[in-house]
Amino acid sequence: MQAFQIILILAWRNLWRNKRRTILTAGVVSLGLALLLIFLGIGDGSHQQMIRGAVRLGGAHVAVQAAGYQARGGIERTISASDLARIYSWVQSRRDELGITHVLPRAFASGLVSSADGASGVRVIGLEPEKEKSFSSFHEKLVRGHFLAPGDDTGAVIGEGVARKLEIEPGEKFVLMVQGAHSPEIQSVLLRVSGVMQTGLEDFDQATILITLDTARELFGLDDQVHQVAIMLERQEQSEEAAREGNQVLAGELEVLSWQELMPELRDFIRIDDGGNYVFNAMFFLIISFLVANTLLMSVLERRREFALLDAIGFTPARRFVLVLVEAAWIAFLAVLVGTVLGYAGHLYLHYRGLPLSLFYSSEMAAAGTVIDPVIYSDLAWTRVVGSALIVFFLTFILALLPAWRGATGQDVQLLGQV
Amino acid sequence: MTTGKSEPLLRLDRVSRQYTQGEQTVYALRDVTFTAEKGEFIAIAGPSGSGKTTLLNLCAGLDRPTEGTVWLNGRNLAELNRHQLARLRLEEVGFIFQAFNLIPVLSAEENAEFILLLRGVPARERKEKVRALLKEVGLQGMESRRPGQLSGGQQQRVAVARAIAAEPKLVLADEPTANLDTETAFALLNLLERLNREHGTTFLFSTHDPRVMQRAHRIIRLLDGRIEIDEQVPTFNRG
Repeated sequence: MQAFQIILILAWRNLWRNKRRTILTAGVVSLGLALLLIFLGIGDGSHQQMIRGAVRLGGAHVAVQAAGYQARGGIERTISASDLARIYSWVQSRRDELGITHVLPRAFASGLVSSADGASGVRVIGLEPEKEKSFSSFHEKLVRGHFLAPGDDTGAVIGEGVARKLEIEPGEKFVLMVQGAHSPEIQSVLLRVSGVMQTGLEDFDQATILITLDTARELFGLDDQVHQVAIMLERQEQSEEAAREGNQVLAGELEVLSWQELMPELRDFIRIDDGGNYVFNAMFFLIISFLVANTLLMSVLERRREFALLDAIGFTPARRFVLVLVEAAWIAFLAVLVGTVLGYAGHLYLHYRGLPLSLFYSSEMAAAGTVIDPVIYSDLAWTRVVGSALIVFFLTFILALLPAWRGATGQDVQLLGQV
Repeated sequence: MTTGKSEPLLRLDRVSRQYTQGEQTVYALRDVTFTAEKGEFIAIAGPSGSGKTTLLNLCAGLDRPTEGTVWLNGRNLAELNRHQLARLRLEEVGFIFQAFNLIPVLSAEENAEFILLLRGVPARERKEKVRALLKEVGLQGMESRRPGQLSGGQQQRVAVARAIAAEPKLVLADEPTANLDTETAFALLNLLERLNREHGTTFLFSTHDPRVMQRAHRIIRLLDGRIEIDEQVPTFNRG
């Protein structure tokens, strides 16, 4: 124990024998860690914003659907009234634990819209306007007209592309035709354009119309059924847990999907983006590693005579090995301390002020079925901070192994005689 | 491996040490045999390059002989690994170097107590012992100074305090007075002699300084790596 105390003291004092070198080395590692945390914050923040954007534009944190609907679709695969009651019962009982904030029933169908000036294939979404307004962003995307109102049975919000193809504007009428859920006959209804929305997603705007859930049920022949119950959570990180639990509780005719399963393109995009970031960060740290390893080795080689002295007076190879490791640990500790403070400060700035993408891109960007916000806000979980700090700490430690081995095994007794 | 009670503290048996320089083989020591008993005060004399430092290094296990065997306190050094050799030096050997070789980041007191600390001596006992020793070597009031703030003579006295603090059986000193003025050299020799007399510590020091040789009880003269003369110095001849 006493020996370890003297090692700690020796290592700390050795560190400050060459202040400039120690500060430079620790500074480079600190800066690396700070940048890593800032990159992670921006990456995670942008991913969170993408997920939130996708969820608010017709997605869900957790989606309950009839079994097989996600893979095969089909207007006839509906959630029955009795299953709907089971879903609401489960949601009610687990609302607080799972942080459930919104429950939005929806119906979907593919159809054909036509006007005097054109026709187009569309995806029809039936929804409850007031409930959707409390969470979704459809109403925020309106560029003309107004959003659906409860009981507005003939109203429809259409995408900008649909409006262009059909050459219709708010107040004008068009016909929507779909096949019924339980009959082969084509059903049609005359609708009036309430509003036109522009989401920034070209595919969505060219082929989406929104109608009320009541209208959709009547048109699709669904009675009290729906195709999906979209559940929104306070924390999207709980999505998989909630879906797992939902599948256990609601097993049978229903499938419960996390956002990752509901929106696999987005999940894959984030994975690939994360992978790229990890590779970049790894390369960045590889470069820093060479610098740190070189500094530590130089520091040991410069003190060959001192290590020979320690050997001569009975400081065992194991203790000399530990001495160099502790010196590296001190550097790592200082670097992690400063780097974490700097990185977290950078994260806080970007969390509240945001990083405007207009600095890099002139137009709005969309990817994996979601629009990327023009300002990215950093989002950094404490696990990321702790994980990064530990990685940097242990990396520095590992880099010290070779210099420590040199310090422990060097045979430089001849240097002791030099004056 | 240990031998009986009559085993000398240090025994070198036909020890040679050769180095290879390019295609040339150079003998630093050749066929050296001698023993040192407990309480002896021995000078290893000889001109530069005669093998004095090599001999001391071999005695401490800092270097290994090419041929022959070194026994220290009954242990064959060839049978010990580097860790065991370091432990042996910690427990039984004190070192004084020509170049002082203090740890620059430690104060005089910390340098002097370093070995006691490694041996796990309790703090209070350690401090008392080291302060008394520093007082004895004339460094009272300089305990907190670092080596860079001490003169050569003062540094050497710290090195002596470090070497003897743990009361080793054997102190090896490589030209301990070479960088000291006459007055300091004599003071240091007086100190070593007194420790030898009072504690029975065995001293083996290399030198080519006649002033030092005069104080030795026994002189082993080396020439070209061989023992030329191994003689006891009569008491009346000592300086």
